[in-house]
Amino acid sequence: MAWTTALGFGERGWGPALLEGAVLTLLVSIAGLAIGAVLGSLVAWSKLSGVRVAAAIGEGYAAIFRGLPELLVVYFVYFGSSAALTGLDHLFGGQGFLGVPGFVAGALAVGVISGSYQAEVFRGAFLAIAKGELEAARAVGMGRWLSFHRIIAPQVLRFALPGLGNLWQVALKDSSLISVTGLSELMRTSQVAAGSTHQPFTFYVAGGALYLALTSISDRVFEFAEARATRGMRREAH
Amino acid sequence: MPESESDSYALTVSGLHKRFGSLEVLKGVSLLAREGDVISILGSSGSGKSTLLRCINLLETPDEGVVTVAGETILMRKTRDGRSQPADRRQVDRIRSELGMVFQNFNLWSHMTILENLIEAPIHVQKRPRAECLEEARALLDKVGIGDKANFYPTHLSGGQQQRAAIARALAMRPKVMLFDEPTSALDPELVGEVLRVMRSLADEGRTMLIVTHEMGFARDVSDRIIFLHQGLVEDEGPPAELFGNSKSERFRQFIATERS
Amino acid sequence: MMDGAFIWETFLRLIVALRVTLSVWALSVFFGAFIAAGVAWMRGSGVKPVEWVARAYVFVFRGAPLLVQLFVVYYGLASFPAVRASIFWSFLRDAFNCATLSCALCTAAYQSEIFRGALAGVPHGQIEAARACGMSGFLLFRRVIFPIALRQALPAYSTEVISMVKATALVSLVTLWDVMSVALKIRNDTLVTYTPLLVAGAIYFVVNYLIARAFIFIEQWLSPHLRARSA
Repeated sequence: MAWTTALGFGERGWGPALLEGAVLTLLVSIAGLAIGAVLGSLVAWSKLSGVRVAAAIGEGYAAIFRGLPELLVVYFVYFGSSAALTGLDHLFGGQGFLGVPGFVAGALAVGVISGSYQAEVFRGAFLAIAKGELEAARAVGMGRWLSFHRIIAPQVLRFALPGLGNLWQVALKDSSLISVTGLSELMRTSQVAAGSTHQPFTFYVAGGALYLALTSISDRVFEFAEARATRGMRREAH
Repeated sequence: MPESESDSYALTVSGLHKRFGSLEVLKGVSLLAREGDVISILGSSGSGKSTLLRCINLLETPDEGVVTVAGETILMRKTRDGRSQPADRRQVDRIRSELGMVFQNFNLWSHMTILENLIEAPIHVQKRPRAECLEEARALLDKVGIGDKANFYPTHLSGGQQQRAAIARALAMRPKVMLFDEPTSALDPELVGEVLRVMRSLADEGRTMLIVTHEMGFARDVSDRIIFLHQGLVEDEGPPAELFGNSKSERFRQFIATERS
Repeated sequence: MMDGAFIWETFLRLIVALRVTLSVWALSVFFGAFIAAGVAWMRGSGVKPVEWVARAYVFVFRGAPLLVQLFVVYYGLASFPAVRASIFWSFLRDAFNCATLSCALCTAAYQSEIFRGALAGVPHGQIEAARACGMSGFLLFRRVIFPIALRQALPAYSTEVISMVKATALVSLVTLWDVMSVALKIRNDTLVTYTPLLVAGAIYFVVNYLIARAFIFIEQWLSPHLRARSA
């Protein structure tokens, strides 16, 4: 089969499947990044709070997940959560094996890894906010919740955008590892197509090209977001 | 080229033009320096003083003009798109090693100790024996008053000490002419004096020095000649007494009036 | 599951496999550095087409997941009769070679950006001062630019080197018996889930920790000028 047919949208073409895989890749990466954002903010907060125990836990979490191979974390989360779920099921009298869906396990794994890096991004972003602005908020009588969601949160996002842009690219690439759980994201789909058509070069290059497309589009999106977010901010003197 | 004429001069510059894009910074500047001359170059910012100095040792490439150091003329040629370029890279390196430059921001090499900074070029560029360079370097450090800082790194020294080290580094090359590009402009006021003292002693020794500076008092006391640059041209030139006393340039009189702080 | 003897046995088997992991890692980082130097030089060459090739290289090898790159090299290249008939085949038929080559190409892209940043970060004034003394060309690079750039590159370089250790776990997916694949095998054979993965994790963690310490040591040794001076 000619590679053009193989990649195409005809009856025997894998075009649609690859695109669906790309969408799934996007979705699982977004989910992972979101989970990472929650974990990352928690860890950042724990470090900034000054509570020693919380900070230690946060540091420990970050250190561990930065020192482990991503693939190992994917396996661990996938097999581990499935084993835990099965165990839970057995507790209630179930039998056999209960597997956690690849999407969930994958998003969790990517999220847990991403969170350890996002913690630093958020911490740095928070510290970059001029102290004076927080004091001004207090001086006007803004309470903790109000000053948080009107002054702190929007600005943390502004400063965190460049770092987050980077981590998004990392999440996209890490998501390819979720293929080992069988989830039909882009990598897995390429693999299946390659095996089915015996054209590995075609499909792995096509898969790679799609990842690059996702990367490029993401670049533009983040550039745009950064430009909007830093509207009116003082430019560094050159 | 009348060699005999430039032979008696340590440095000659004639008809220097320099453009940055559409902005012409030097519009035809000439100067002559005999051996032992101390020449201060004054002017407001944008007048082209630093550019003039940097054209002499080719850190900037003049578009037109001739520079001659100790009788040797720097050969230039035009590239295909009409830009000017030194014709012989080795000549440029050699002439640079005969000129000592002191920068506004010291520019000591941060990964080397002060002593290593001093012997670096003598050993690797001038190919002089290490022992000789070391001995001379230590003597120079003592001379500028930081002999005890030989094994320190630049970041551990104050601004004044760093600049004195930079002067010693330039001296270590046994230069024929020394170029100073606003040597005290980046220093805290209380550190300026120690650097000026060193420069004064060099002038007393009879060194040939070209100094771009804002230190009016120093320029007046130490120089043999003052050159006043305005918008890329020499507005006035002459001994300090003459210029500071009654300059024929209205602009210069305004200049010293505003600089006096 | 927490049987001491089993843990110890697992540990021993994984340590043996560590040799494969570290070999792929060391060779890919080492050769990657040379490729990266070439790419960085191309980036700074000033010749537009050459620069463009370098930028494209970095874009592709940093933008695509390493897993895709591995599969292209290992599965993809082998599918061409032309490749199998060529002189490269004796090299490419071996999984270890393919994996190392692919990892080297990938890390080279990241390393070249580190080199580029470090070179650009050398204070311009110090380069000028060297020029003003008559230094140029290779002498200037060797004595001033390279030493300063090296020190600036160390932190980012250490991060990349450690990333590569983690990346080698992917070679388990192209038939190599590294720590990751042996751990999975043990799990599949014994159906014990956590232990093999935990022991493997511990091994990776310790290796990364040691590498990080080594870099800190090197940084301190090379940068006495940044340490606070005891007056």
